[in-house]
Amino acid sequence: MELTTPGVATLRRDPDQRALGDAETADAALAASGDGRAFERLYRSHVARVHSLVRRMVGPDHADDIAQDVFVRAWTKLGTFRGDAAFGTWLHRLAVNVILARRTTLGTERGRYVDSADVLEGVAGRPAAPELSMDFEEVIGRLPDGARQVFVLHDIEGYRHEEIADMLGIVAGTSKSQLHHARMALRRHLER
Amino acid sequence: MTDQWTDRLSEYLDGELAPAEQTALEAHLASCDACRTTLEELRRVVTNARALDDRPPAADLWPAVAGRIGLAARAQARPAVRRFSFTVPQLAAASVVLALVSGGGAWLLGRRGSPTRPDFVRRSVLNASAYPGDARFAAQVADLERAIAQPGRLDTATVRVIERNLRIIDRAIRSAQSALAADPGNSYLNLHLAQEMRRKLELLRQAATLAGARS
Repeated sequence: MELTTPGVATLRRDPDQRALGDAETADAALAASGDGRAFERLYRSHVARVHSLVRRMVGPDHADDIAQDVFVRAWTKLGTFRGDAAFGTWLHRLAVNVILARRTTLGTERGRYVDSADVLEGVAGRPAAPELSMDFEEVIGRLPDGARQVFVLHDIEGYRHEEIADMLGIVAGTSKSQLHHARMALRRHLER
Repeated sequence: MTDQWTDRLSEYLDGELAPAEQTALEAHLASCDACRTTLEELRRVVTNARALDDRPPAADLWPAVAGRIGLAARAQARPAVRRFSFTVPQLAAASVVLALVSGGGAWLLGRRGSPTRPDFVRRSVLNASAYPGDARFAAQVADLERAIAQPGRLDTATVRVIERNLRIIDRAIRSAQSALAADPGNSYLNLHLAQEMRRKLELLRQAATLAGARS
C-alpha cells in the first residue's frame, strides 16, 4: 500500500530552480538597499502564493489587508534575509508569522482547537450529492479555525506536525488530531 | 461507520505510525471495507489539497504596498526612463574599485610567474567567463588563502568565523554574477559585484594579517 509522506513546504513548493533562486537572492539584496523595482519583482513573483496562504488561513474578508501587511513586513525585514534558504521560503515563513499574529486581533483564535469530530462534521460535512458540491477551497474555509490552519499548513503547505505545533503553540498530537478531523470532514465533499 | 482504527488512518497515510501499529492496521484494513474506503477518501483529500492552485488577489495590491513603504512617492519623483540613480562619482568609484581589483590581481600574477591554483580556488564560485576580472581576482584570493592556510596559524573558532563570512560573501558574488548574466549592463549590479569582491579581499587580507601576527 502506498504511503504518502508530506514533504517540507519549501521542497514541494519551491522546486530546484537555481537560476530563479539566485536572481531572487540578488533582487532581495537590491531591495534591502532600497531598490523598489527589485522589491516589486519579488512581490509579483510571490503575491499569488502569499495571498492564497492568507485567504486559506483567515478567510477572504481580510486577505488583501493581511497580504499587504506581509509585504510591508518583508520590506522592513529584508536586512535579516541572509540567503541561507530560498527567498520564497523566508517570505513564506514570515507570512505565516504575520498571519498568526493577526489572528489575535481578528479574534479567530477563539475555540480554535475543537477536538471533536462531531463539531467538524457539523460544520463542513454534508452529503456529497453533485448538485450540492462546493468548491474545495470554500469547504476548507468552513472548517473551524484550528482544523483549517493545521490542514492548510500540513496538507497544502507541507509543514511537518512539529513545525506546526511550534508555530501555533500546540503539541504535535493536537496538530495530528486536528488534521485527521479536517480530512474526515473534507472527504465528504470530494467529487465522486 | 468508525472503529478503533479510524482515527489512526491519517497517521497511517502520512507514514507516522510505529512499525508494529502499521502492521496491525494493515491487517485490519485487509478485513474492513469501511476503513479501506475511508482511507482512499482521505488519500483523495490530500491529493486535492496538493493540487490546489495559488490564485492572485482580485485587485493588484502593489500600489497600496508601495504606498505604505514609501516607494510610490519615490517612483513618481523619478523620471520614468531612468533605471538607476547613481551619480557619476559613484560610477567612477566603481570603476576604480574594478581597476584596483583587476590590477592587484595582475600584479600578483606577474610576480608569481605561472601560478598553480589549489583545489578550492578551482572550485571557486567565480565563473571566469562571467566577469572580466574574475581570473585575476581568483588568483589574488588564492594567494591570500594560501597565506592563511598554514597549519596552526589561526585557532579553530577564528577560522569558523572567517569561513562563515566568506560563505556569505561568496553567495552575494554568485547572486550578483547570476543577475549580471541576465542584465550585463546593469550599473548597480556591477557596482554591487565589485563591492562584494573587494569585501572578500579585505576579509582575506585581515585574516592573513592575523595569521602572520600569530606565526
